[in-house]
Amino acid sequence: MSQQGSTDRILVLTYNRNNYGIVADYVKAKERTASDCRNDPLFKQIPVLSARRKLKQIKALPTGKLDGADKQYEDAIAQLLPSILYPHLDFADTQTRSIGGSTIRDLVFYNNRSVDFLEEILDDYHSRQLVMELKNVDSIDRENINQLNRYLTAEFGACSVLVTRNPLPKAMFRNTIELWSGQRRAIVALVDSDLELMVEVFDSKQRPPIEVLKKKYIEFRRACPS
Amino acid sequence: MKRASIHLFEKLDAQLGSIYQEISALARKAPNDAVNAFKIGLVNSTLKQCNELFGKDYLPFQDFTEFPQDELPTNSDVAFVVLQYKGCAEKLRADNIRLESFDEWVWKIDDKGEQIQTAPPKKLS
Repeated sequence: MSQQGSTDRILVLTYNRNNYGIVADYVKAKERTASDCRNDPLFKQIPVLSARRKLKQIKALPTGKLDGADKQYEDAIAQLLPSILYPHLDFADTQTRSIGGSTIRDLVFYNNRSVDFLEEILDDYHSRQLVMELKNVDSIDRENINQLNRYLTAEFGACSVLVTRNPLPKAMFRNTIELWSGQRRAIVALVDSDLELMVEVFDSKQRPPIEVLKKKYIEFRRACPS
Repeated sequence: MKRASIHLFEKLDAQLGSIYQEISALARKAPNDAVNAFKIGLVNSTLKQCNELFGKDYLPFQDFTEFPQDELPTNSDVAFVVLQYKGCAEKLRADNIRLESFDEWVWKIDDKGEQIQTAPPKKLS
C-alpha cells in the first residue's frame, strides 16, 4: 500500500515538474477566488445595547471633518441605519459608485415595499432603491442638496433621505419644497433627534423604526403645496 | 345632564384615569418613546367619546381632537393630553353636581328617577 502511494507521489511530482506553468496558474487562480469560498452569514442586526452605544458615539462626534469625524460619522450611520431599518429596508450597500465612477452614494437600500410608506415611494417616485446621503455638517447648504438631487436618476427614483446632524435651515427646507413643487423630487432630512427616536423605538419595540422615516416624509409632504 | 350621559361620563372618567396611570408610568421610564399603534387606537377612541360628551365648552383644546397615528406621539405627549382631558372632565362634573345634604353630593339630573350620588368636587376635597 505504501509502495503504491509513493509511486503515485512520484507521478504527481513528475507531472508538476513538467507542467510547472499550468500548476502555477491553477494555484494563482484558486488563490484569487479563495474569498468567494468564505462563508457569507446572513445579515446580522446590531443588538440594542450597541445601537444605543452607536447613537451616543454619533451624538458625541463634532460636525465637520476634524480628526476624520465625517468618516467616523458615515461609518457609524452605515452600521446603525441598516440594523434598525431591517427588515423593512434591506440589502444596504455603502459607498456605491455610479457606472462612470463619478458619483458615490453613501448608503443605498433596496426598497422591498414591505410597508405602505415604501410602496408609496415606489409608486409616486419610482424609487426601487432608496438612496441616503450622510452629511456630518453643522448646517446643510445649497450644494449639499444639489448633490443629492444629482443622485436622483432613473434607478433611484425621485425620493431620497438626507441624514445630517441638525434640522435643515429654513431656506434649505424651502429649497427642498421647491424641488418637490418643480420636479416632484422628495428630499427628507433625518437628524440626530430622529435617530434618537428610532433607537428608542428599536429598543422598546413599540413601533418599527421605519415609521420615524414615514413620519418625517409625512411632515415634508404636509409642508408641500397641495 | 341626562342619566345616560352621566353613566357614559363615569365610564369615560374611569378610563381616562386608568389610561393616565398607565401612560404616566411609561412616561416616567421613557418620556420620548413612541406609544404603539394599538394603545394609540384605544386612547383615540376614548378621546373621541370624550369630545362628543364634553362639547365645545369643556374641550381642553379647540384644535385637538385625536392623536395622528403617523406622527408617533410619545409617552409624555399622551400623558400630557390625557391629564388635560381629566382636568376638563372634573370641571364638567363639578359644574353638574349639587350638595344634597351635609356631605352628600348628587348629580343634577334632567330626567326623572333616582338620585345618583357622586364625590365632592376635587377642589373642595
